[in-house]
Amino acid sequence: MIADAVLLARKDLLLELRRREVVLGMLQFVVATLVIVHYALAGVGRAGLPKAAAGMLWIAIVFTALLGIGRSFAAEREDGALDALLTAPIDRAAIWLSKVLALLAYLGLMEVVAVPAFLLLFFQHGRPALAPLLAAVVLADVGIAAVGVLVAALAQAARARDVLLPVLFLPVSIPLVIAAVTATIAALAGTGTLRPLGFLVVFDTLFGLLAWGTFAELVGE
Amino acid sequence: MLTVKRGSLWVLASTVLIPLATALAFWWVPDDIDQGFSQKIFYLHVPVALSAYAAFAYGAFAAAQYLRTRDVAWDLRSYVGVHVGTIFGTLVLVTGPIWAKVSWGVWWDWSDKQLNVFLILFLFYCAYFMLRFSLDEGERRAAFSAVYVLLGVGLIPLSFLAVRVAQQVLHPVVFTRSGAAMPGSFVLVFLIALAGMLSLTAGMITLELAGKRAAIRVRELRRRLEGSDL
Repeated sequence: MIADAVLLARKDLLLELRRREVVLGMLQFVVATLVIVHYALAGVGRAGLPKAAAGMLWIAIVFTALLGIGRSFAAEREDGALDALLTAPIDRAAIWLSKVLALLAYLGLMEVVAVPAFLLLFFQHGRPALAPLLAAVVLADVGIAAVGVLVAALAQAARARDVLLPVLFLPVSIPLVIAAVTATIAALAGTGTLRPLGFLVVFDTLFGLLAWGTFAELVGE
Repeated sequence: MLTVKRGSLWVLASTVLIPLATALAFWWVPDDIDQGFSQKIFYLHVPVALSAYAAFAYGAFAAAQYLRTRDVAWDLRSYVGVHVGTIFGTLVLVTGPIWAKVSWGVWWDWSDKQLNVFLILFLFYCAYFMLRFSLDEGERRAAFSAVYVLLGVGLIPLSFLAVRVAQQVLHPVVFTRSGAAMPGSFVLVFLIALAGMLSLTAGMITLELAGKRAAIRVRELRRRLEGSDL
């Protein structure tokens, strides 16, 4: 099953490598968002900037993630390939896992640019604890991908798909954002990040299991 | 029309219990030492919040039942549970700020757990209606709605936990309610109010279900009358 998922994810990544639609778009989007946010915070002043910045990183990441989530099933939808995929003798959950893996790759590539850009724009003088910051980013990515793919599957069948996707995704992401921002603030200040990181592990596990268990109900039939 | 009768009985019980609790709260229970008269809203706000949770729990239970049995009756029950829960949730978001304004001087306190969790849940369940109404009626809509409702089972505890974690890390001032237990009269009136509000919830769910079923039946009969399925 995991082998199937990896194979399908490789197919998605190969498609992306050829077309370069999603990741490049996400990169431009996240950098533009960070710049806008930087100017939106003009009133905060230099001293307050690092404190306000933690939230800005997550606004940028969550909204950029929506771009990738929205494209999760685009290839299948456009080519009508989902039916073909469903007739293949593979576990339905493997399809979910493959999409999660592909989305994780997109998110990771986006953050390789976004996190350094964030530190450069907002946090030039501090010495952030990089390890917990990266842990928060990775753990949050897993949660975003686990929930995001499920929500994308829900939205892709609906009429106002593009409007519905953020409306469905954002409320579920609120606890994740709360914990990720908390962890980032603590990492930037060099204080303990164990609790919020622990929470992210719980979030990933719980929603991972929920999505894993229910995804088969959405496709198929 | 057994269900209508049952629903009416629930509503009848609530029309006795809620006014009774209100009357007792105003004329029998002494004023709270700390908050005074304004604490009376407690007998409305908290039962409404617990009723909302009860309705959401029913909706989630029905969603799980739907996925297990594929019986459309459970889909309807799940929808009605979420619908009634959202109505009570709206009431929580109205009564909460009133209480907050009187006792803390602000309409919204971002460190209050209950209120913020309800805000998240409110957004979540509003999205449920959007999802449901942008899908065509049928098996797929039922399954999609059920899966989304089940996400709520994870979201409720995680929202509480997230707000708590943020408080502990960012505002490490722990304010404990200095263990003064509520006097007996408070508890009694609260329980009456809670029983009344839960009866109202049960009545609303039962009656809405009966109404929805009747509407579906009417539509079927009309279609048959017009001969479209002959």
